[in-house]
Amino acid sequence: MKDVLHSTLEKITQLGASYAEIRAQKNRNTILSVKDGQVESVTLANETGTGIRVLAKGAWGFSTTNSLEQVALEKSLHNAFKMANAAGKSVREPVKLAQVKSVEDKDFIAVKKDPKDIDISVKIDNLLKINKSCFDFDKKIKSVTINYADLFTQQTLATTEGTFIEQLKMFVWNYCWVTGKSNGIMASARDEIGAHGYELYDYEPSEKIAERVSKKVIQQLEAKTPKSGSHPAIIGTNIVGVLAHEALGHICEADLTLSGSALMGKTGEKIASNNVTIYDSALIPEGFGSLKYDDEGVPGQRTQLIENGILVGLMHNRETAAKMNVPPTGNARAQDFRVTPLIRMRNTCFEKGNYSFDELLEDIKFGYYLEAFRGGQANLDGTFTVGVQSAFEIKNGKLGQPVRNVGIAGNTLQTLQQVDACGKDFGLEMGRCGKGQMMFESSGGPPVRVKNILIGGA
Amino acid sequence: MNYIELCREAMKSATAAGAQEVEALIISNQSISVEIERAEIKTCVDVKDVGMAVRTITHGKIGFAYTNMLEKREINKTAIQAANASKASLTDKNWRHLPESKGYPTVKQTYDERITKFTPDEAVIMCQKMMTSATEFDKRVLPAFGGTQVSTEKTVCLNSHGVEVEDKGTFFINVLGTMARSEAQVSPMCVEFKATRTYAPEPEWVGSEAARLAIESINIGKAEAGKFPVLLDPFALQSILRFTLIPSIRGDIVFRGRSILKDKIGKRIAGKNLTIYDNGILPGGLRSGKTDMEGVPRQKTPVLEDGLLQGFLYDNYWARLEGKESTGNANRGGGGLQLPPYGTLPSINPTNMMIKTGTARDDELIQEVKNGYYVRNVQGAHQSNPETGEFSVALAPAWRILKGEIVHAVKGAMIVGNVYNLIKKISALGKAARQLDMFVAPKVIITELDVVSK
Repeated sequence: MKDVLHSTLEKITQLGASYAEIRAQKNRNTILSVKDGQVESVTLANETGTGIRVLAKGAWGFSTTNSLEQVALEKSLHNAFKMANAAGKSVREPVKLAQVKSVEDKDFIAVKKDPKDIDISVKIDNLLKINKSCFDFDKKIKSVTINYADLFTQQTLATTEGTFIEQLKMFVWNYCWVTGKSNGIMASARDEIGAHGYELYDYEPSEKIAERVSKKVIQQLEAKTPKSGSHPAIIGTNIVGVLAHEALGHICEADLTLSGSALMGKTGEKIASNNVTIYDSALIPEGFGSLKYDDEGVPGQRTQLIENGILVGLMHNRETAAKMNVPPTGNARAQDFRVTPLIRMRNTCFEKGNYSFDELLEDIKFGYYLEAFRGGQANLDGTFTVGVQSAFEIKNGKLGQPVRNVGIAGNTLQTLQQVDACGKDFGLEMGRCGKGQMMFESSGGPPVRVKNILIGGA
Repeated sequence: MNYIELCREAMKSATAAGAQEVEALIISNQSISVEIERAEIKTCVDVKDVGMAVRTITHGKIGFAYTNMLEKREINKTAIQAANASKASLTDKNWRHLPESKGYPTVKQTYDERITKFTPDEAVIMCQKMMTSATEFDKRVLPAFGGTQVSTEKTVCLNSHGVEVEDKGTFFINVLGTMARSEAQVSPMCVEFKATRTYAPEPEWVGSEAARLAIESINIGKAEAGKFPVLLDPFALQSILRFTLIPSIRGDIVFRGRSILKDKIGKRIAGKNLTIYDNGILPGGLRSGKTDMEGVPRQKTPVLEDGLLQGFLYDNYWARLEGKESTGNANRGGGGLQLPPYGTLPSINPTNMMIKTGTARDDELIQEVKNGYYVRNVQGAHQSNPETGEFSVALAPAWRILKGEIVHAVKGAMIVGNVYNLIKKISALGKAARQLDMFVAPKVIITELDVVSK
């Protein structure tokens, strides 16, 4: 394999490319789906493919092939070179890459329980148990969907700079969507968890998952809608990471920052209250976005974004790092061999503070505790939205009635100034981000109190 | 071996491995795209992705396997893997049988030879035209991202009930996302595009429209909270509907008791001025074709007629379960893991949801709103509650209408509501419709929506 990749890469250098990389993958996926107790499908898949990226004439060319044979690779490489030449015709500012040390390494993620050693019947049985526990939780539970996937990737990255990295990646993912009905009202809740092995279910047994998600459904059935408008809020550990991801993370991705995001030219400036420290780390062992090397061969690391309210860093690939004259941060990630690496978050978190949950509550006369999220979205101008699936009123410093269908919206530069206290607990949530490509990531932090945030409730 | 022969080979192997019913599907997609990033053309991508999916059923147990390696050996392995997967599964009491062979419609304007011959160099020129048009419109505009993409898709589907169908289609898209800055303000990302099945690019229009939106978004004024009439652009309308109304008309959601519309066929759920068809055979429609993704002919299906609910959308699995015929709405791929099109079992998805247009011109619509908002797009619609139809979304970009005229952009406001109220409160529909992904829709006025603002 190594010889094939190296001799292919040698040819591209002779053609006049300034850089090229080959990302070869073998993927093995098992995907299961259970809907209302029926096993909808057992999916088994094998994929092989190679993504080849070439830098020539100051522009990128990219081509894919589903073969690892030298002939196919060379053809694809030539194609990528041709593509780079086409794009390069109009380039005014040629793409440059930040220098990195070439690396030869193998990184095989530590999987305690390899899903391939677990019989499919055991996996199905576990999902059926989650399903049954949801229906048993309350008669009001009417519909349960459970999706499971174990995704294994063997990836080799070889570059013309001499980098040769073999990585084994493993994701075990469990997603539930549960719906309940009572007195004509319908409500639903989602639950998404993951780990780098089947040990996921050792600390997330079926009953625990079922209870967590079903409880949210029942709670929402009894909930009222919130009062729309600006209110103080405590953003819980399940949501705070989404806030870090949507309100700050995306516009700290240097490709987006350079495209004119609300943070363009603001590095070194105070953009948040002193209580805000946010980082994106590749080094949290259980994190779904952790990696030893990114898809450009840059070592994973912890990247500080905001330090006590000051914007101190952005997330980079080699190209944006060169453009801004800073070291790359290891954030270049591609969903698979079919696509080019983009700047993506890994595990994005608020730093802890020292308030207990009760202390966060006690100063709020009327507001909301936002407990669990449904999804989020960011815009380059700093407008962000987070959909909330479970929330509670706060009245006179105490948690009150549940509320449902809350959406929060704000602007990064205003909202982060409103953070007036951070809790001492910490939560990390596994999730997926869609920036054109699906990417596993995590986000987290402590409960965070904001003085005011726009709450919309239908 | 051609694709049909490969499918036959897979069916033979799966049957030999014990499968009672077999379906083999090949989907290939070849695309060339030139990408714009920060006013530069910096990347050109050539991707060919092809894969096979094999679905097998044995004693009601469904197995599925896919691969992107189309050598005979791998095809046989995948077919056997699918048969083994069905053995490992449990009986699905809802399973009836795979689709049967039927005649297929002829759908016009879905394939254009010119697109298959389009070169990367031509795409670069197209991108340059878009960017030039944007920056010539106003120097404060940055073409932040976008590009030109052409693609050719082929689908081959065979099954053991005699289905054997081939379809091919072409796609052309020019898209530009722009941002504009003034000293005090940054616009939201403003996107314009033109997507067609035949070769009819308008890069200059895309560029100048994207620029116009961004420039008009930086003149920001106060967003007043309260109940207002709101003019929804097709972008905003489709964002809201796809995450609220659309799930509720899916046959699977209805069968599973998760749709609020379950017992409402023939009943009034919307104003008399709302008629919606799902038209999978619309000439030139972005989602048109002769077959769906499991070999069922695409068709035109009434969903809402004069506000009365007509029916739901089905694929084979859920239609059979209800004792109905599939409406040809089986789709593949995507899902939470964004798998390739050959990477999933069918799921129900609309094709081209056509909202019947009204008679009003754009200026008449704005005049009719008098005191309210014009919302081009919304953010956060995917966080809506699909079961109840409740939504709360941020407006980006959007404008205030006063005295029947657009006066300034607004920022940081939300609209909240329930889709089942929204579709009862449409007071006017524009006479022009445009296709955005799954909707072909005009602008509509909602007589009253809650606008939330600081």
